[in-house]
Amino acid sequence: MKTMPQKSAMKVAFWPGCVSKGACPELYASTQKIAEALGLDLHELTSAPCTGAGVLSEQNPKLARSLNGLTLAMAERENADLMTICSTCQGVLSQVNHELTHRPELLAETNSVLAENGYEYRGTTKVKHLLWILVEDIGLEKIASLVKRRLTGLKVAPFYGCYILRPEEYLGLKERPERSTYLEQLISLIGAEPVEYHGKSKCCGFPMLTFNRDVSLKMGGKHIVEAKQKGADLLVTPCPLCHLNLDGQQPDAARAMQQPIGVPIFHLPQLLGLAFGYSPEELRLNRHVVGTDGVLAKVELKV
Amino acid sequence: MILDHDVLVMGAGLAGMRAALEAARHGASVGIVSKVHPIRSHSNAAQGGINAAIGEGDSWQTHAFDTIKGSDYLADQDAVEVMCSEAPSDIIELEHMGVIFFRDDAGKLGTRAFGGASKARTYFVGDITGQALLNTLYDQILKAGVKVYEEWFTTSLYVVDGACRGMTAIDMLTGELHLLRAKALIVAAGGCGRVYEPSTNALICTGDGIALAYRAGAPLMDMEMVQYHPTTLKGSGFLMTEAARGEGAYLLNSEGDRFMKKYAPNMMELASRDVVSRSESVEIAEGRGTDGCVFLDVRHLGRDAIMHKLPQIHEIALDFIGIDMVTQPVPVRPGMHYIMGGIKTDVNGASPLPGLYAAGECACVSVHGGNRLGANSLLDTLVFGRRSGAHAADWTRAAAAASGPAQARETADEAFLTAEQQRVQALLDRPYTGQTHARLRLELGTMMDEKVGVYRDEAGLASALEKLHELRRLYESVSVGDKGRLFNQALTFALELGYLIDCAETIVHSALTRKESRGAQSRTDFPARNDTEWLKHVVVSRNGAAPKPTIGFSPVTITQWAPQERKY
Amino acid sequence: MEWTIRVGRYNPEAQNMAGDVGPPYPPPYEAAPTKVYQTFTVDLPEHAVVLDALIDIREYQDETLVVRCACRSAICGSCAMWINGHANLACKSKLKDFTKDGVTTVESPPSMPVIRDLVCDMNPFWEKMRKVSPWLENKQPVPQGEEYRVPNASMENLIQEVACIACGACLMDCESFAINPDFTGPAALARAYRYADDPRDARSKERLEEYSGPDGIWDCTHCFECVQRCPKGVAPLDQILKLRHMAVDAGFTNNPGTRHADAFAESVRGSGRLNELTLLPKSLGLFNIAAQLKTLPSAFNMLRAGKLPPIIHHKIPGLERIKNIFKRVGGRFQ
Repeated sequence: MKTMPQKSAMKVAFWPGCVSKGACPELYASTQKIAEALGLDLHELTSAPCTGAGVLSEQNPKLARSLNGLTLAMAERENADLMTICSTCQGVLSQVNHELTHRPELLAETNSVLAENGYEYRGTTKVKHLLWILVEDIGLEKIASLVKRRLTGLKVAPFYGCYILRPEEYLGLKERPERSTYLEQLISLIGAEPVEYHGKSKCCGFPMLTFNRDVSLKMGGKHIVEAKQKGADLLVTPCPLCHLNLDGQQPDAARAMQQPIGVPIFHLPQLLGLAFGYSPEELRLNRHVVGTDGVLAKVELKV
Repeated sequence: MILDHDVLVMGAGLAGMRAALEAARHGASVGIVSKVHPIRSHSNAAQGGINAAIGEGDSWQTHAFDTIKGSDYLADQDAVEVMCSEAPSDIIELEHMGVIFFRDDAGKLGTRAFGGASKARTYFVGDITGQALLNTLYDQILKAGVKVYEEWFTTSLYVVDGACRGMTAIDMLTGELHLLRAKALIVAAGGCGRVYEPSTNALICTGDGIALAYRAGAPLMDMEMVQYHPTTLKGSGFLMTEAARGEGAYLLNSEGDRFMKKYAPNMMELASRDVVSRSESVEIAEGRGTDGCVFLDVRHLGRDAIMHKLPQIHEIALDFIGIDMVTQPVPVRPGMHYIMGGIKTDVNGASPLPGLYAAGECACVSVHGGNRLGANSLLDTLVFGRRSGAHAADWTRAAAAASGPAQARETADEAFLTAEQQRVQALLDRPYTGQTHARLRLELGTMMDEKVGVYRDEAGLASALEKLHELRRLYESVSVGDKGRLFNQALTFALELGYLIDCAETIVHSALTRKESRGAQSRTDFPARNDTEWLKHVVVSRNGAAPKPTIGFSPVTITQWAPQERKY
Repeated sequence: MEWTIRVGRYNPEAQNMAGDVGPPYPPPYEAAPTKVYQTFTVDLPEHAVVLDALIDIREYQDETLVVRCACRSAICGSCAMWINGHANLACKSKLKDFTKDGVTTVESPPSMPVIRDLVCDMNPFWEKMRKVSPWLENKQPVPQGEEYRVPNASMENLIQEVACIACGACLMDCESFAINPDFTGPAALARAYRYADDPRDARSKERLEEYSGPDGIWDCTHCFECVQRCPKGVAPLDQILKLRHMAVDAGFTNNPGTRHADAFAESVRGSGRLNELTLLPKSLGLFNIAAQLKTLPSAFNMLRAGKLPPIIHHKIPGLERIKNIFKRVGGRFQ
């Protein structure tokens, strides 16, 4: 699917990830919306495979390098930066890209696998999460100019998740430490107030969900409760896997924490989309487990 | 509380843990008392490696000769023979314990070159050899289930009827002072580097064991022999391992010259430490230094070798003075590093005081004499740690229990504990005087570095002694700024300052006594070595309450290597 | 230069000190006096580290401030503490890098019991280390009078873990440990790897079975926090992943972690994409009815919100490529 390119559109090779095409369709829909507003020309890599979410790389690094090498090569062929909308995809692709661009023997090995499938990776693709593209390529000024509805009065807790921050060396945080503050910058930009809390860079618990459900639920629950205690109306996350745990499992997390929680979790493009004037329905804010009505009412909107 | 063991070990570095392990193997009930967790001990700072003559074409005799030559012929040759001949089996044992030594292409133990050695015989783990050994020995201590009293600070040794019977120590976590009784006590509490400022030594190296043994009546030997390491980082004084020079690093003066060619044309940068430190001092004194430093240059080794074989010093230079050794030489100066002297022992670690043993840096067997070779200190801790552990355990079986009927002994023990508790409490209760341990400690350290460093003379040493008398007087009025019980560091720092002053006094008295230049003792007023008069050890013992110790001498044991002129 | 340090103070013996009141420490310490923050100003050079500041305060301003330290050069591992909310070595943290809004905040990490001020009780850390039997069980026969012959690469492979200084920073900020105090934790599992992959060890297989059990390698949440926190590049998570790999290779596959990976691979191999619908049940084990039932309320909530993935899982175009890749390098997942 392609959006209509605007004047001075920025072309990106778009990797939506499995979850935005699966359990979090609202992320895919809202991304399309804001891309339209921002003039992002999305060339979706429809035949790229799942990144393996770290699960495959831990068990079979060679396989993970080959699968992700294919995606990187596809983006290279598009001659554009590779945009992700998932912290986990970002983390895995960044790590593989780092390995392939720093270790020639691994690149050669991967290319020998890709060659059979008609691809070659030369190591030129840059992998960027939507969050980074927003701040670094599009710029805060341009985004500010698109804000039609300032979300004044909303207290928004950023939730980064792990793989967009760690390990620093793969994710460019050594060169650009400010990447750990982009969510706060955007929250302020649209008139809302960022909530500072410890859990914002901790694990949501998703990777543990199938191994140790109770720990996973408490992990996510703890961060939401902390943000709530610091006054947050909602959390915003650049990662749909965090969303699955923080929103999808929140009722169970509340039981595990033995207290009601009820804090809606927004995807990053949903929050921006709201500020850009899209309706809650267009952004599929009605497709969450934790209802968003209360928050929307605060900014005089409803689903 | 009163606790009992057959053998107590003070200190949990390599010597202490090795001693404890061996004593336990010999069937003794062992307790280790350490003021820090074993893993925090200063042995972890030894970077470069451990010496042994294992490889083909090497022999323990060559190792022994290098050691003796390095010591400027002050080492006791029987002790050196023991150390060097037992070194190979100790290294193999460490390997069997799990140390991940570097291997050669055949999968056998591989070596690197080190200062003062005629063969490459230093076995190593990257530049974290001490840490690798310490980790492994600690794991062995866990495996053996040896009791460790972690964060227990020793305040005194317990001497009954002329024999050492244990110690008193404060459990830092509760602040309680306890008596730990034993039939034998092994002091393995490390050196006294903090007598000097700066020093490569950790803040915990305050000579506790040396001072307490001295107070208990054990003689100290070779205390004037203080090693200045040639490459300590500008400012902080952190150690930049000799392995750098072993791997081929240059020392440059401000003119970019490899100045060692003037002083040691054959061995160059790998001459023994005393020689290199003196050479650097001369360069700096004659105006060919930069900010009191010369330069250690590894650039020509290339990034790979630096990152692979010297990662830790690369990291230290980057972290602490912002220099990337791959692209820039790093400023270094001679800095206090090690004391060759310590508690006088025989080759079994036994001191002349019955029941008291010593091993490691706090001991003086003497295998290092006037100057220790790099990578011989780890070896010293292991060989003599093992020997003292075995001997102490065996000795406890033979040792008679303390004299007198049991009830009287209990009463005496309790009385001793109470008296010690009162002494410490009195220090704690001393009203505010404005005199702090920190100020005096700094004054002591900088004074010692200035007057009792690489070069010494009569006038400087005499004024050092005068200053020490003043510091001791001021020490009597130090008040403790923390009146609590839990983890009261102000109290232990004040006690440590007392240990430091004792060590400093014995160093200065010994340095004044030796009227010649040998090894680390360079007297500008007596610039030559004088074998006729001074081929002997200076031995100091406490003389009651008098500030000046009793000074005696002990002959140097010569077995097969007659003293010669030293050339590198 | 002038630096401002805000220090978390706590002393169960003392009356509450003056200062702004901080959050309570977790139980059983909540009954003790509250933790307070005291602010100090120190004059130190530009390159100074947090530990320099703490020592300066302790020596010249307040002798009651308690902090563990020894080597000052990131070797002894004594001075791990919370600096601006994350575990770091005080001796390695430059003031200029940690001054935030004009101040650096240091305190004992809330994840560990506190003894006094910046000194926490490290026993939970040491107990975990002990739990993994961190010593060599010699492969027999032990070579007599000589070393084991092993390739240098097999030793160098372990040096990353041997560089661990046991400072505890990884555990202090470990999220799995924060929720589950019984989790073996990053440093201890890294040490476990060090012995399990030592070619001289005889118990490798038994170790892998032990470490695969509850609170072991599969209870790590894979968040990279330990990698980030480690001051010595040990990267504990990397060592844990190696253990997982070894455990699976050794046949210890009857656990949710391995089932999860298998289900994951199956989904990607079959469709090119992850199928969330089948992933969870397969990970739990299809016959693990109790666990399956526990997930039902969540599934129901997600279904109601229209959030469950499409029942018919679409295959990506060009799936042949993916199948080829699996065939070529899929290993166990072929």
